Amino acid sequence: MRWCLALLLFCFLAAVNALSSSGSRLLVVLDDSTEKSLYSTLWSDLEGRGYDLAFESPKSDSLSLFQHGERAYDHLLILPPKSKGLGPNLTPKNILDFLDKDGNIILALSGRASTSSAVSSLLLEVDIHLANDRSAVVVDHFNYDTVSAAEKHDVLLLNRPGPLRSDIKAFFDGEGVIALPRVAPQTLGNTSPLVSPILRAPETAYAYNPKEEMPSADDIEATGSQLSIVSAMQSRSSARFTILGSVEALEDQWFSATVKTVGGKKTPTANREFVKQLTAWTFKETGVLKVNNIEHHLATDGEIAAEDLNPKIYRIKNETFFSIEMSEYDYDKWVPFEVPAGDELQLEFTMLSPFHRLNLQPTGRTETGVIYSTQFVTPDQHGIFSFRVNYKRPFLTNVEEKHEVTVRHFAHDEYPRSWAISGGWVWIAGLWSVIAGFLAFVVVWLYSAPVADKNKKTQ
Amino acid sequence: MAEFSLDVLLKGNSGKNTRGLLRIIILLTIAAAAVASRLFSVIRFESIIHEFDPWFNFRATKYLVQNGFYSFWDWFDDRTWHPLGRVTGGTLYPGLMVTSGVIYHILRFLTIPVDIRNVCVLLAPGFSGLTALAMYLLTREMSHSPSAGLLAAAFMGITPGYISRSVAGSYDNEAIAIFLLVFTFFLWIKAVKNGSIMWGALTALFYGYMVSAWGGYVFITNLIPLHVFVLLCMGRYSSRLYISYTTWYALGTLGSMQIPFVGFLPIRNSDHMSALGVFGLLQLVAFAEFVRAFLHGKQFQKLLTSMVLLTFGLGFTGLIILSVSGVIAPWSGRFYSLWDTGYAKIHIPIIASVSEHQPTAWPAFFFDLNFLIWLFPAGVFICFQNLKDEHVFVIIYAVLASYFAGVMVRLMLTLTPIVCVAAALAASTILDSFLVMSKPTPETQAKANADKSKAFSSTRNPVVGIYSYFSKAVVTGSLIIYLLMFVAHCTWVTSNAYSSPSVVLASRLPDGSQHIIDDYREAYYWLRQNTEDNAKIMSWWDYGYQIGGMADRPTLVDNNTWNNTHIATVGKAMSSREEVSYPILRQHDVDYVLVVFGGLLGYSGDDLNKFLWMVRIAEGIWPDEVKERDFFTARGEYRVDDGATPTMKNSLMYKMSYYNYNSLFPAGQAVDRVRGVRLPAESPTLNTLEEAFTSENWIIRIFKVKDLDNFGRDHSNAVAFDKGLKRKRATKKKGPRVLRTE
Repeated sequence: MRWCLALLLFCFLAAVNALSSSGSRLLVVLDDSTEKSLYSTLWSDLEGRGYDLAFESPKSDSLSLFQHGERAYDHLLILPPKSKGLGPNLTPKNILDFLDKDGNIILALSGRASTSSAVSSLLLEVDIHLANDRSAVVVDHFNYDTVSAAEKHDVLLLNRPGPLRSDIKAFFDGEGVIALPRVAPQTLGNTSPLVSPILRAPETAYAYNPKEEMPSADDIEATGSQLSIVSAMQSRSSARFTILGSVEALEDQWFSATVKTVGGKKTPTANREFVKQLTAWTFKETGVLKVNNIEHHLATDGEIAAEDLNPKIYRIKNETFFSIEMSEYDYDKWVPFEVPAGDELQLEFTMLSPFHRLNLQPTGRTETGVIYSTQFVTPDQHGIFSFRVNYKRPFLTNVEEKHEVTVRHFAHDEYPRSWAISGGWVWIAGLWSVIAGFLAFVVVWLYSAPVADKNKKTQ
Repeated sequence: MAEFSLDVLLKGNSGKNTRGLLRIIILLTIAAAAVASRLFSVIRFESIIHEFDPWFNFRATKYLVQNGFYSFWDWFDDRTWHPLGRVTGGTLYPGLMVTSGVIYHILRFLTIPVDIRNVCVLLAPGFSGLTALAMYLLTREMSHSPSAGLLAAAFMGITPGYISRSVAGSYDNEAIAIFLLVFTFFLWIKAVKNGSIMWGALTALFYGYMVSAWGGYVFITNLIPLHVFVLLCMGRYSSRLYISYTTWYALGTLGSMQIPFVGFLPIRNSDHMSALGVFGLLQLVAFAEFVRAFLHGKQFQKLLTSMVLLTFGLGFTGLIILSVSGVIAPWSGRFYSLWDTGYAKIHIPIIASVSEHQPTAWPAFFFDLNFLIWLFPAGVFICFQNLKDEHVFVIIYAVLASYFAGVMVRLMLTLTPIVCVAAALAASTILDSFLVMSKPTPETQAKANADKSKAFSSTRNPVVGIYSYFSKAVVTGSLIIYLLMFVAHCTWVTSNAYSSPSVVLASRLPDGSQHIIDDYREAYYWLRQNTEDNAKIMSWWDYGYQIGGMADRPTLVDNNTWNNTHIATVGKAMSSREEVSYPILRQHDVDYVLVVFGGLLGYSGDDLNKFLWMVRIAEGIWPDEVKERDFFTARGEYRVDDGATPTMKNSLMYKMSYYNYNSLFPAGQAVDRVRGVRLPAESPTLNTLEEAFTSENWIIRIFKVKDLDNFGRDHSNAVAFDKGLKRKRATKKKGPRVLRTE
């Protein structure tokens, strides 16, 4: 009981101190505690950013990702174990369940030992593929560290990655080179839109298994920039799963090493900064979008009354106004979210298929958000429509907003009156002339009594 | 003394009053009997709305009562036909709902606190009492004998052909429409007889009410012009006819156009053209009659022939041009299916799939009408004997309605009133002839003989009659036995065949006690309590109204089958593979899929037995993707067991029906009791749906549509992974590798 209370208090405090947008409980799975000291800078960096670190060995019985059916941790950092496999508590199913419950994971691989088949099959589920024999290393004869890997060329020196595409915000850029020793390469499948490479190998790199003969050309799965060194999978519910090819890049020794490129000069590595960006992104300190507010209403000139806001029902051909306020989490605070240049935030007005797809324009700012809005006329089709904002971009959490509204037909008293339609004047004239004619006839008939002449027939 | 007082009561002026009082009492008793015999279902089950369509009417009535008339008039229903919605206010016949709404408000005004449900449940029995009264009025116009009217009222009150659509809880349009039909015909006959504008206008008024209440108003729209046309052909033009018809047509058409659902149909639809044509014809005939007064015979002949030819030519070409150019809508499909019973099966499967649109089986006539069916021709014959304008009407009605009743089961309903009229005419003639106690006195006989020599043959009055007590006793006795048997038959039919709510199934336990199978309501209340308020439910259209009414959840399709494509979409989703169905379900925001499965209980009205209709309707829209042939084995059998075709086994409907069904039985022993076959040993696998609810007797099964996989996998892969199956690495594809580009 006391333990429970303590945990509750702890969680509460953790929540208060947390800098990540999604909790601060971080479990580090590493083989034995002696290894722990290899990464002390990383631990202190993470603790400095507000994470509560727990360390467990994969073999430990007490290791459990869930408690009472809920996540026991918010984030997970898995370092490659020495033994084969991750043990019975970290089966691929457990790990996917953890992601399913919106936990975030960094999985570090190492080229020094072959990766276990469990990890391989886990990655296969999210469309990330390891080399066939699972023990290949990326080698590049042009971008290696001449200091530490003059012979083997397996310590890559790479610039920090820029934006993946021109219309995507860069989360991992900056000055300096990153040293990545003995990278286990990944290739990304083409089918899943959820995976994206954070750091790709240079064009001149290739995967090579030092223990085996050089494979024939047919067996080579990927080379050059098709190899991914750090890759990310963001699930549809925006849980993040990062695969880091080189666990050694996290070590203290590479945080403070000086390296020398081929024909370059000695520089200190930027590993520390890069790892900070990497962990910050994975643990949702960056690239997290939030929809603060959605408003839609009939377009009017003046202020809109509260009861007219977000109505459930519109009529066809209504002039409609839609706005959405969005923020982005930036390490420790919500800041206004600006859509990157070349990209657009779009609104769809959909029934079965979109009737409108409109670019939302930034029209206002609040302290933490940008208000994007647009105005349009509802289509001439009644039905159950939805306002949809479907903004899914690599490295940003998914925004999928759907607000159902009904678009009704004209009510019987909303049509223009007959006299307002000039084409109807002919008929109205006809109508009244018949009425007038009939009345006139009746009057004439009533007042023209037949002459009382019994000999003649009345005409 | 007693004899004396009886004489006072039976003879003279006070005798007339006594008979009038007696008639009123009899009529009231008949009305009470009509109401009472319809209450079986309320007593046996509870005060509940029956079947399918009544659930919609009930829901619409509740909407009307809650939101008032104007918002009912402009009602856009966003809880049916998702995501299209339905302009309900403009696509229904509001008469029924407005009637019960008015009754409800009157009762409220009289401070009688009554639930709208009870008003709805008891509306049909209430109106059946009124129908009996209207029947009395109509038949009295046909015969001098007051007993004919009373007999007709009694027949109408309890005949199963009418009870089938008007038991308590059967809250359908027919509940009030039959009363309006009979009453409108009564007013029409009255109008024709009197040639009075007032009666014509009243006819139009009730015709307007009828239009607002039931689509079957077209029957009146065509029958009255046909009556007029036949009378014209018989040379019976009169100013009475002219006045009553023109009054009715002008006012009635204007009235009918006030109903949004009807709108401009009366001047644009072929179904209504006969009324317009007869209206025009009547003007011409009237004009000809007028001209005839001024012209000599020969000139008039010439003029008439040329005029007839000219108008006929003009009218015919005009009709063709308007039809071809599309101003006048072509005949509706339902109309064609009235003439060609095979038409619907080929062209409009959605109409053919409804059981009440099937041709009538012969025993149904006896079942629904009992001995009236053989009195009916006799009654029609009597009409021929005494051929006045109103008798022509009875004959036309009899001929038309007999034909239609033979074509469609549900049109038995329109046949029933005229059968009651004709049978009552026949029965009353028999009774009048055989029940008269008095023997002719010798004086009258002698007088008659004396008259014979003097008077013209047309005016003489021979004494013809049945005077033997024996023959009187035999004939009246057998007729009374028939009448008693009729009452017994009606009671039996009503109690056994027509009083089941079909929402609740009743069965008998071995010890004879009643066992209620309440799966429908169990499932609908599960939906009501366990799903989100706007969770979209997909089911076959039969259950749409019930889901809307009982579960209060939006549906994709319902019994108002206005959009064939949307129904075909549901049919396609049901009859396709999961991989094909899932995108359809996603696109239509479906959250739950509901199927009816009778395999465990032997309930034959389940979805697998209706499945071929789904396939056919889907095939009508997507002939390349859904093929009926694929659901039959090579030998042409419709099978669900091991021998079922792969298409059948992979269809969503099959999978949902039999999902996990074998878990109820020992291994390999699963049996489908409806189709009487042993099922495959393994349950079908469902990847994109998961079972959410199965009712007690497995009649209703509800499946939840899974969301897209969180990790972008196929559902089949995700399910395989959850089961612990290892995924094989994708084998190398032939051809050049596809490079990933960002």
